[in-house]
Amino acid sequence: MSMDRRTAIRSLAGGGLLLPGMLSEMMADEPSRIVDPLTPKPPHFAPRAKRVIFMFMTGGVSHVDTFDHKPVLNSRHDTELRVGQFYKGSGWKFRPYGQSGTEISDLFPHIGSVADDICLIRSMTNINGDHFGATIGIHTGSATFNRPSIGSWVSYGLGTENANLPAFMVISPGLPYAGGQVWGSDFLPAVHQGTRVIPGTEPIANMHRRVSNEQQRTELNMLDFFNRQHLQGRNTDNQLTARIKSFETAAGMQLEAPDVFDVRQESKSTLALYGLNPDDTTGFAWQCLVARRMAERGVRFIELIDGSSNVDRNWDAHAELTKYDGLARNVDQPAAALLKDLKARGMLDDTLLVFTTEFGRGPFVQSPGTDGRSHHSRVFSTWLAGAGIRGGMTYGKSDDLGDRVAENEVGVHDLQATILNQLGIDHERLTYRHAGRDFRLTDVHGRVVKEILT
Amino acid sequence: MRLLPAISLLALAISNAFLPCALRADDEVKLEYFENRVRPLIAKRCYECHRRKAEGGLRVDSRESLLKGGDSGPAIKPGDAKNSLLWQAVSGNHAEIEMPPKNPLNEKEVNALAKWIDDGAHWPQAVTAARATPDEHGISPAERAFWSFQPIARPTPPPISGKWGAHPIDAFVARDHQRLGLSPNGQLPPRQLIRRLSYDLTGLPPSPPEVDKFENAFKLDSDAALNKLVERLLGSRAYAERWAQHWLDLVRYADTAGDAADFPIPEAYKYRNYVIDAFQNDMPYDRFVREQIAGDLDEGNEPEEKWRAVVATGYVAISRRIGVSPQNLKYITIEDTLNNIGKTFLGLSIGCARCHDHKFDPIPTSDYYALYGIFDSTTYPHAGAEHKPYRDDITYRIGDRRADATLDAFRKKMAPLLKQERALFERYREFQRKPINIPGYNRDVAWKNVLGLREQIRQVAVTFPNLETAFAVREGDSSDTYVQQQGDPKSRGPLVRRGFLQVLGGETLSAEVKASGRLQLAKWITSKDNPLTARVIANRIWHHHLGRGLVTSTSDFGARGEQPSHPELLDFLASYLIDHDWSIKSLHRLILSSQTYQLSSVENPGSESVQIENAANSKLDPENKFLWRGFRQRLDAEQLRDSILIFSSQLDDTPGERHPVPHRLTYFYRQHEPYIANFESNKRTIYLFRQRIRKNRYLDMFDAPDGNLHVGTRRPTTTTLQSLYFMNSPFIEEQANAIARRALKSNRNPNEIVRWLYQHLYSRGPNSRELSTVTDRMDQLLDQVQIADKTSSKENGKIKSLCSIVKAMLASNEFMFIE
Repeated sequence: MSMDRRTAIRSLAGGGLLLPGMLSEMMADEPSRIVDPLTPKPPHFAPRAKRVIFMFMTGGVSHVDTFDHKPVLNSRHDTELRVGQFYKGSGWKFRPYGQSGTEISDLFPHIGSVADDICLIRSMTNINGDHFGATIGIHTGSATFNRPSIGSWVSYGLGTENANLPAFMVISPGLPYAGGQVWGSDFLPAVHQGTRVIPGTEPIANMHRRVSNEQQRTELNMLDFFNRQHLQGRNTDNQLTARIKSFETAAGMQLEAPDVFDVRQESKSTLALYGLNPDDTTGFAWQCLVARRMAERGVRFIELIDGSSNVDRNWDAHAELTKYDGLARNVDQPAAALLKDLKARGMLDDTLLVFTTEFGRGPFVQSPGTDGRSHHSRVFSTWLAGAGIRGGMTYGKSDDLGDRVAENEVGVHDLQATILNQLGIDHERLTYRHAGRDFRLTDVHGRVVKEILT
Repeated sequence: MRLLPAISLLALAISNAFLPCALRADDEVKLEYFENRVRPLIAKRCYECHRRKAEGGLRVDSRESLLKGGDSGPAIKPGDAKNSLLWQAVSGNHAEIEMPPKNPLNEKEVNALAKWIDDGAHWPQAVTAARATPDEHGISPAERAFWSFQPIARPTPPPISGKWGAHPIDAFVARDHQRLGLSPNGQLPPRQLIRRLSYDLTGLPPSPPEVDKFENAFKLDSDAALNKLVERLLGSRAYAERWAQHWLDLVRYADTAGDAADFPIPEAYKYRNYVIDAFQNDMPYDRFVREQIAGDLDEGNEPEEKWRAVVATGYVAISRRIGVSPQNLKYITIEDTLNNIGKTFLGLSIGCARCHDHKFDPIPTSDYYALYGIFDSTTYPHAGAEHKPYRDDITYRIGDRRADATLDAFRKKMAPLLKQERALFERYREFQRKPINIPGYNRDVAWKNVLGLREQIRQVAVTFPNLETAFAVREGDSSDTYVQQQGDPKSRGPLVRRGFLQVLGGETLSAEVKASGRLQLAKWITSKDNPLTARVIANRIWHHHLGRGLVTSTSDFGARGEQPSHPELLDFLASYLIDHDWSIKSLHRLILSSQTYQLSSVENPGSESVQIENAANSKLDPENKFLWRGFRQRLDAEQLRDSILIFSSQLDDTPGERHPVPHRLTYFYRQHEPYIANFESNKRTIYLFRQRIRKNRYLDMFDAPDGNLHVGTRRPTTTTLQSLYFMNSPFIEEQANAIARRALKSNRNPNEIVRWLYQHLYSRGPNSRELSTVTDRMDQLLDQVQIADKTSSKENGKIKSLCSIVKAMLASNEFMFIE
């Protein structure tokens, strides 16, 4: 800042014409000031989790066929409750696992093998019964309006631990229901939106440089020169500084990202644990192993999306529950392996694992013999593990039919409040002022489910 | 002079600082609780019987009516939930009354009501009044008194002295500046002004000679130079291509239907081109609206005009389809139509009223079905879909009868083939259901049979005469519709006469009308007595010029939207538009000639005093709500791509025509094998093929809408993926290379080259520091290129090194932002 300007401002301040806050803001207004919105920020209180891995099963996983055993439903199978409504039992056997004896169906034997490390919530509810509304409901707290995704809120609240990678990354081979809105930052600064990773040769679009390293460095130097010239007189505009910052992040990402995705560096035993052929990037195993590599590198919120809006590749099963065998096989071993791997590396203590879907599926069908179930947001199952979550427990219950919550309802806002809580964030205090009011992820709802915490 | 505003600023800053906190403490928290937990709950679960119907004598839509209660006495006792009838009835604690009769509230909901009553049953005053004495439609005087439903006023610009008083827009804006103590920023210098105007009106950068010419003319007579420039730009095809895109955002234009298999609509482009032509010819907005809703019913036009108006109804026809048999889900297609009509023309979310009375705006469910009947009486074309792959109800220009006469012979030839194809396809599908053991016959053979037949079909298809068609709507069987309770077509409520929204006059079709009512609807929407239509479009035009609407929620003029920042100015613009025969171009001219439009967006343009003023302005009005400076805007997806193609001289500026989609009679797409296409071209971005199910990655990356949802306001994002696109994408690499070649070809020495690049990309010349820095780097790059690739020729090395400079400039903020 020139001496003249300094003097001018001081004289104004001396005359009492400027407020103190304004003065410091004007004095701090150096042209070189570029605020990095992803700078790590302290949480509200001591966190249990440094990061979250959020596994999302697209389409609505039937709870009564997976994590919520309903013998009564089986005993009434194919009998009529009322006209046009028949009970439908599960075609899969359940068995108790571990010391806790948590019952899980034969679709998920590997997850069963880590039952003593997970907390299974059988009383989840969502705020909407359609894929679109329920998917954004569990991600953004709103089923109707565009709102920032939970990962964006976490990025906004805590920043990133690795300046070369975004704080919020989403491995999503296909587009889920509601598409990119699932990881959108909406009114939060765009730098907090999820970066989508698509498994394949170039997981992040345009990741590979096309000129020599030196030449690219000169390009970026030139860019910096052009941008600094332009910034003169415009240094209060966040859009400009955010864009400048995004090239720094991009350059860092270009260096670091290929390494993140290179699962060939993993040992044979690790690959075997996940059941992964390192040349195969198409399954959930690749997603899980890359998630661990991201976690090691300080990515704050990692989301793994299984399936897309294409019903052939997701858990939506109105008439084809048999596809669950294949879908579960893809997910079961890798999800359990991720937990075991993190535990072996001592990372489970500060990594929160969440395994969920948008809603469950109903216990009734319209005609006997139907091999499917309808959407069911009144109750479904979700599990969490690590980072201060009590292992080997179940929380909440559905009724005998898996139709409604029988006790300890956990709504999506409660789940969100709990996830934030483990990250050291008070969900009522993580707010952003937009359109004249303070918004938060959990709106006016949300209760931290203290009962499941150690 | 400079001190006075600063003093009033101080006073204002102090009062502003204390007000919100005081409010927030108690009332706002309770209000928030009510709005989020209680009102939606009551609206959802109680309104159906206890609002307009007032069953049991009870209305539950205001605190007063709850206190008054119904036949069983007062419903609430504020501060005492346990002894309130309402709580007792919903929690199963009342001997006789149990509410709601079906599906009891869950524990959370009951508790929310209890907490609300215990806290004093707080219900915001304004809304209490609003529901106090509703008319027969349940709309209260206060609801009718909402600002956007008031007749458009004809405000006189306030008397303001000096140059800000000369233009009516500036007078309105300056009054607020003076009231608040804001000192407006300076005028944008001519080089940046022409850049702003060119991108704004045409989406394209000005050429360097245009910039020089304008700058010189501007120095002589700024008004004359500006007017001349505006006229030239408004007269160009590029203008229409730019502004049509704004419209296509609203109507969620796409070239596919959006069903599970995303069937292509080969004729969709005709509607797109219709919109472009309408902007080019400055079609009066009321007519533009009328043709899109009911152009097929227009009487008395020339044949060419008539056909064009039929094509216009593509607006209704391209409503989004969903699922595998959208032809059986017409109510969902109609919902999309009504949603879009509400948001696009009226700034209202009508769709909310499909299942229940609108929770925030005075739109009862009966209104929804009054409009619904109009489109239920309309025949939509069928683009084909998985369960019915053959197109249907396509409009032929020569009329159905003559088309049938021409086509019947061909159809007869085709019919058995189609039947056979379905049969073979079913045989193929059998493999999914049961094991089949026939020697020499398996799944692959079955599939080959299907494909073989499809080839036969294709061969017959290409022999069909090519009659001109449009994807348009037409009249169907006219009838009124029953209310679908809770939005369920099977649950029938009362019959509703087709008509318009109650709050906007509530006209209904007269008894003698035998048609669908689309023509009447178009007239109601464009009636000069309808206060919304002109306000909404005037605000949109303002929004696109200035970068922000006077109403920032450009498609929500209802209770949940934002209030106008300049209500009088908005009405001035709306009435100006009506008075000038709804000419959009006349509104452009008015806005563009104002000082307000020409305000600089540079916060600190170098002058010390302006810097201090602007710091004070920022404190007073940080969001620039009162327009003391211009908004800096980032190039959008279309502007970015089109500009780059201009710089490389590769833009194909001919209008886009039909996309090379397969023959219209050969569509057999399924959700498992959806239609997927990508037609590369160097035409302007508006002409790119747009698919609903599969987004265009480039357009998506740069925040362009995806053809599924109405978008009134794009939200630019800044992402690392965009940055990587500038650094590493093949498109940027190729284009930068072409630009470098062009720069080398047309210039002799490094200084000239750098000047050429600055003039093209930044619309200005480089200063001496920039010139020397960039030329130095060119030498450095040349060394780097030659070290990296020793076989490269000197010429190639030059191109490659210059390519890097071009890439950096394309990535730079100065190129990407418009002042």
